[in-house]
Amino acid sequence: MLKLTRRTFLKASAGTTAAAVAAPSMLRAMEADLGGRDIDPVSLIERKSIPTNCHVCNIQDGALAFVENGRVVKLEGNPEHVSTRGRLCAKGNAGMWYSYDPDRILYPLKRVGKRGEGKWKRISWDEAYNEIAARLDDVLTNGHPNEIMLKWGRNRTGGVLERFMHTLGSATILNHTSVCESSKKIGMEPTWGPDIEMPDFANTKYVLNFGSNVLEAAYFHNPFSQRVTEGRVDSNMKIVTFDVRLSNTAGFSDEWIPVYPGTDGAVALALGHVILRENLQDSDFIENWTNVSVQELKDHYKQFTPEWAAKLSGVPVETIERIAREFATTKPATTYTYRGPAKHMYGSYNEKACMMLPIMTGNIEKRGGYCLPRGMGYDQPQPQPPKPATPSYLAHPDEYPLAGHKVSHLVPFWITEGKQKIKVYFSYQDNPVYTNPGADAVWGELFRNEELIPFYVCLSPFMGEEAQLADIILPDVPYLERWEPESMPSSLWPWLAIRQPVIKPLGEGKETRVYLQELIHKLDPDGSRGMKKFWGFKSAEDYLRKQFENIPGLKEAGGLDFLKKHGVWPIYGKLNPRTGKISDKSGREIAAEYGLYRKELSAADMAGAMVDGKGAIHKNGKVIGVQRKGRNYVGFPTHDRLINVRVDQWAEYGFNPMPTFKRMPWHENMKDDEMILTTFKLNVHKQSRTAAVKWLAEISHANPAWLGTETAAKLGIKTGDLIRIESGVGHIVTKALVTEGIHPKVIAVSTAHGHWGYGRLAQLKLKEAAGQYGAADDPDLKNVWWDDKGVHPNHIIPAVADPIGGSQGWYDTVVKVSKAQPGDKYGDMVADWNKHVQWYKEGMRYTYVGDMHRKMHPEMASWAGPDSVKHKATGGH
Amino acid sequence: MTQELLMSSTETRGRPGVRRYAMVIDVRRCIGCMACQVACKAEYDVPLGVFRTWVPYRVTGKYPTVKKQFLPRLCNHCDDPPCVRACPVEATYKLEDGGFVLQHYDRCIGCKACMASCPYNARFMLPEHRTYTDITKVVDKCTFCYHRVIQGLVPACVQTCVGRSRIFGDINDPNSEVSQLVARHATQVLRPEQGTKPHVFYIGADRSLTDYGRAVYHKDEQADIERAAFNRNKHI
Repeated sequence: MLKLTRRTFLKASAGTTAAAVAAPSMLRAMEADLGGRDIDPVSLIERKSIPTNCHVCNIQDGALAFVENGRVVKLEGNPEHVSTRGRLCAKGNAGMWYSYDPDRILYPLKRVGKRGEGKWKRISWDEAYNEIAARLDDVLTNGHPNEIMLKWGRNRTGGVLERFMHTLGSATILNHTSVCESSKKIGMEPTWGPDIEMPDFANTKYVLNFGSNVLEAAYFHNPFSQRVTEGRVDSNMKIVTFDVRLSNTAGFSDEWIPVYPGTDGAVALALGHVILRENLQDSDFIENWTNVSVQELKDHYKQFTPEWAAKLSGVPVETIERIAREFATTKPATTYTYRGPAKHMYGSYNEKACMMLPIMTGNIEKRGGYCLPRGMGYDQPQPQPPKPATPSYLAHPDEYPLAGHKVSHLVPFWITEGKQKIKVYFSYQDNPVYTNPGADAVWGELFRNEELIPFYVCLSPFMGEEAQLADIILPDVPYLERWEPESMPSSLWPWLAIRQPVIKPLGEGKETRVYLQELIHKLDPDGSRGMKKFWGFKSAEDYLRKQFENIPGLKEAGGLDFLKKHGVWPIYGKLNPRTGKISDKSGREIAAEYGLYRKELSAADMAGAMVDGKGAIHKNGKVIGVQRKGRNYVGFPTHDRLINVRVDQWAEYGFNPMPTFKRMPWHENMKDDEMILTTFKLNVHKQSRTAAVKWLAEISHANPAWLGTETAAKLGIKTGDLIRIESGVGHIVTKALVTEGIHPKVIAVSTAHGHWGYGRLAQLKLKEAAGQYGAADDPDLKNVWWDDKGVHPNHIIPAVADPIGGSQGWYDTVVKVSKAQPGDKYGDMVADWNKHVQWYKEGMRYTYVGDMHRKMHPEMASWAGPDSVKHKATGGH
Repeated sequence: MTQELLMSSTETRGRPGVRRYAMVIDVRRCIGCMACQVACKAEYDVPLGVFRTWVPYRVTGKYPTVKKQFLPRLCNHCDDPPCVRACPVEATYKLEDGGFVLQHYDRCIGCKACMASCPYNARFMLPEHRTYTDITKVVDKCTFCYHRVIQGLVPACVQTCVGRSRIFGDINDPNSEVSQLVARHATQVLRPEQGTKPHVFYIGADRSLTDYGRAVYHKDEQADIERAAFNRNKHI
């Protein structure tokens, strides 16, 4: 038992006291270190520290893991990491519970009952490999490699999954981006190149935030939140948030402006209208760095009056005019967006409309402005398998030629329609049965159908809703037990990092790059199939070492060995305990580089180049830069090195190439008793995987539906009342939370709750025995005091896609809300596959080949129709 | 006035030669991310149902003019701590150098007198089950991360604070950041009328939050539902 006495304190702190006495004239106090070490509070022994990279969610913060007696007991941010600066969010702090989940799967499992019956047999890795290899062998011998499908939710393997699929020759690689943020990406990419912006929050004076809940989730929650608070308090920045709901970000903002769902784009266009009408734009920037003229822009924006936007959005005309003037006359200023504008039927248009504001005010790539993302890459070891020869319909559906990040959430309908046959299905960190629109009513329906999915291999350490429907489960390992490369554009300074095993894989768990190599070796033991040569790695570490072997700068610093020691590269400076910022040797905060598009081309770059009348610098059949006032600039990473306000490629498919807004047709004639259902993420949860993390579940375990005070009074509903939410595809029965913080026409239900899989804690089935699949129990779970696990809303959300970006319209669902009816039980989730199919078909009518496309685009009357374009394969990942 | 100048024998604020640690919580910078609360759980293997630090919130105003505010809470490490006076067995004590209010787990008899005397509800009884720590069924509380501070580290909640809302240091040192923040800003403490001389100072704390958990103006019905569940199922 620990005894804390005054003597031990003085003894332990003698060192610091002496230092303070020795330097009495210091103007600055001896501030304590902001981290990097941790000590056991009972034994006072220093815990072992290992740098790694967080992967609870996809923000990818630098982390330190503290290990004691072979157990990860504490996680904190890596103080050497330029984005993270030593801090982690609540989720990152709780990440060890991915490893120590008492319901984790620690050996391979084979289904013995019917699919989904929950009967499993423990098998050896070798048995698992034999079964899977036999299935793959059958496809490769008797079928087509594209009949092997792999869909990931979160792929941070650094190319391992792509290598596996390409080795098999299959192009049927699906992701989860369409349920995430893909229309944001598609709104941005053709315009300026990258798929995300880097707002310089710390140095800005004004932020217009459209539907991003950056203080709870979004890219890049932790690093950006640090800078938002800095800007707000230290730099007197103003932040204005447009959202249908009072998120923590909206609640923190100087102004929360509620908008009617999906109309952010209309507000953004009207803001642009006022800016251009009052001549507050940056004409020099528009003329020199975009592909339109100021006059063209003014003419185009005339139609988007504040009166028009006010009618759609409910934001008063005066507010729109005031915010427009504030934004345009405060420098520097930036916008920031996330899913609010993007996750609608025409989300790509919305994103584009928002992005136009920093462009027309010339805030691009300025200190305190709207900057390009800063990224870094790593290598793929040679030799690499070639890209598959035959494209996959599911990966690149003909109806969505512009959706470069795929339309994965519509795949169940396409498989059912027979668009592509699947014989072996792999899932990796992907739980569409829970996370996708339709949830079990769509994906559960697919996986339970053994004719459509004859063999399903789930690569996961958790018995999630998807794993419950698998035939074989391979016990992949959580992030603290694996080798992976990492990089994210999460600050103004680019970085490379690694995940390294902080503890050895528990039980028989294996990491992805290990078991996929073993599986390929089983399939091609002697190399005669030409597969083995791509998988000659001595170990997972060896594979990773090859990914970092030839990176200039890092190579000289020590390559992987440097990363094993520090976790991240480069190290830009030291975390200053006085400021919480990274300081250089002089003690000043490190300086960022701005104006990336104004980098000048070298003489070598210009050798053999030709400059045309518009200043475009051509070389080898490509535009490599832009000449302005005699100087040769690199410009933006687009085909003509300019910001494409007019996206000509969109016009080829009959979409409006200029900034525009389209309202969801089914929002046009809503009845009085109809509302719009929206979902959201909370500060302590990601989508499907954190409900089993006890410290996070303790903070948030249930998800009552938010209803506005006025709306609730009209319906006679009080907080805690049982309510029924009914959409066109089904209904759920949940509880109400009456609040002032929501638009009166919106009902909001957070995701992350209401599991019917994912272990005992997520389902609150704690009376069942722990360690069903080999994991150790956590005695603390005896202290669970909550008895409400929430209700999942995705069953009743139809799957529709943005005809441009392919993104799920999460926030478009029209619902009726009423008090629960006789017979309704809390937790009821009723949805119908056939109704989901009807909605999917309705959504397809808006694609460029659909009958509604022209009706939605009267301004594109001169478009020659779908037959005038040839399907072009798109990129994306 | 003279009462103000009188210093009780336990008070160390302003006493030369000793440190008096304090925390400043700048509510303007708190984003309610809960990182502090979870970091604390990890640092001490804090069981479910009890907290050394916690972050309540209030939603205030009428639609559409609505705000959401957070108030991180923890032991105030009072300069004149009532819990020390209330403890019949001297299990609770205050360190002269540093001002930490701490707990001798092996002396604690679990009588809860300290819990009853604390105006901040900062103390709790440890349940029987914990993940890996064997100190159970005695009273526990925030220690200002004494074990980290004596080795030159800030407390775990300060370490991970995303908005840099929590600042920690020696308020007896006029050059420390906490001293300067307190000198430059209007600060608030919780329940000053109790005479406890709390050493957690808030910047920008709103009355709807500082009125100590009683949602006088803005009743939080959801919190009542959670509280009822806790009382229904608690294990301590």
